[in-house]
Amino acid sequence: MRALTEEETQTLFSKLANYTGRSLNNLIQPPSDSSKEGERYVFRLHDSRVYYMKLSIANLATSISRENLLSLGTCLGKFTKTGKFRLHITALDIIAPHARYKVWIKPNGEMPFLYGGNIVKAHIGRWSEDCPEHQGVVVFSMDDKPLGFGVTARSTAETRRLDPTSITVFRQADVGEYLREEDTLFTTT
Amino acid sequence: MPVSPKFASTAIPSGPNLNLGRERMAPTRTVRSKFAASKSEKSNGSKKSSLGSSGIKKSKPSKGAKAPPPKQQKTRPTARPTKRKRRVYTEKELGLPKLNTITPVGVDLPKGKKKGKIFVDDQESMMTILAIVNANKEGQIESKMMKSRQMEEIREARRKEAEVRQEQRHSKLEERKDSIRRKRNMKTEKNVTSEPLENKERRPQASKSGKKRVSFA
Repeated sequence: MRALTEEETQTLFSKLANYTGRSLNNLIQPPSDSSKEGERYVFRLHDSRVYYMKLSIANLATSISRENLLSLGTCLGKFTKTGKFRLHITALDIIAPHARYKVWIKPNGEMPFLYGGNIVKAHIGRWSEDCPEHQGVVVFSMDDKPLGFGVTARSTAETRRLDPTSITVFRQADVGEYLREEDTLFTTT
Repeated sequence: MPVSPKFASTAIPSGPNLNLGRERMAPTRTVRSKFAASKSEKSNGSKKSSLGSSGIKKSKPSKGAKAPPPKQQKTRPTARPTKRKRRVYTEKELGLPKLNTITPVGVDLPKGKKKGKIFVDDQESMMTILAIVNANKEGQIESKMMKSRQMEEIREARRKEAEVRQEQRHSKLEERKDSIRRKRNMKTEKNVTSEPLENKERRPQASKSGKKRVSFA
């Protein structure tokens, strides 16, 4: 377990910034400005996975050997061998409150999305205005529960002219993965 | 193969020749310091003992004869100070670029740079990186929005143009239709006005002539 390098931090932040706005600052500097050193949040890399946790927990984890340490804090995602960063569904709870663009899907569209499908226009209940294409969005149910995240296929202006069956959001991760990827989601090898 | 006595006899004269060579080399040995000379003597002695040939004994007296002039040895090293060995630099020390070799990226580290990773763990540096990333992202989004807006405007303009063209074509068609209708009306009106007179004159004729009809029973 170690802290991230400059390059890794930049890759991670640019990925997170795809989905979040300026409020991403709150991840590093929580608004309830606690002066205690152990209360601030840090990012740690362990087995190519990035975890987000309080500094006090990270310090405690130093007493556990690398082989024996399985996981700590919240896993945000992992670095691929080519150096790119892939967000995991476990990061949803962290990025959902800071989402820049949101899409709400109707109850009839929830199941297709949670089974790993893309979102068609007919299933969209609401969406944030002025969203460009290929922009990260966080997907919510109509009662504001975060369900996953994806990437827009078209801008909002273009989406209006689309027919109901055409894809508007490409799925990136959904909470259905907790069941579907149960055996690989938390394994470290 | 058994050595013939003739061959053996020819081999013996080579001994003195060897000795002559040693005698010639002796002055070069004396060029070095006293210490070197003594060393060479020692080594020579060992060699000779190992050789054990008949020529050894002849060389020894020659050595003894050469030993007396040590004064010359002292003067000679001062005469040639320029022949000192120059320092040979290794390629690493010179730092010359290697020719015709490919150094993979990351292997050739720049000189004077610190080895290893630079970790980011303090809030300030993380905030600066985040600010840079955020600015970049916002710029990208802004440019995307601008681009999509421009594209939208262009599309709108094109659509309007196409609509106008369609309308024009439609109106042209209508006009043409009207003109044709009007023409037809004019004709019919003319016919209507001219018909009564003609009818009066032609009716009897028309009734008379009519259309020729052929009927088969």
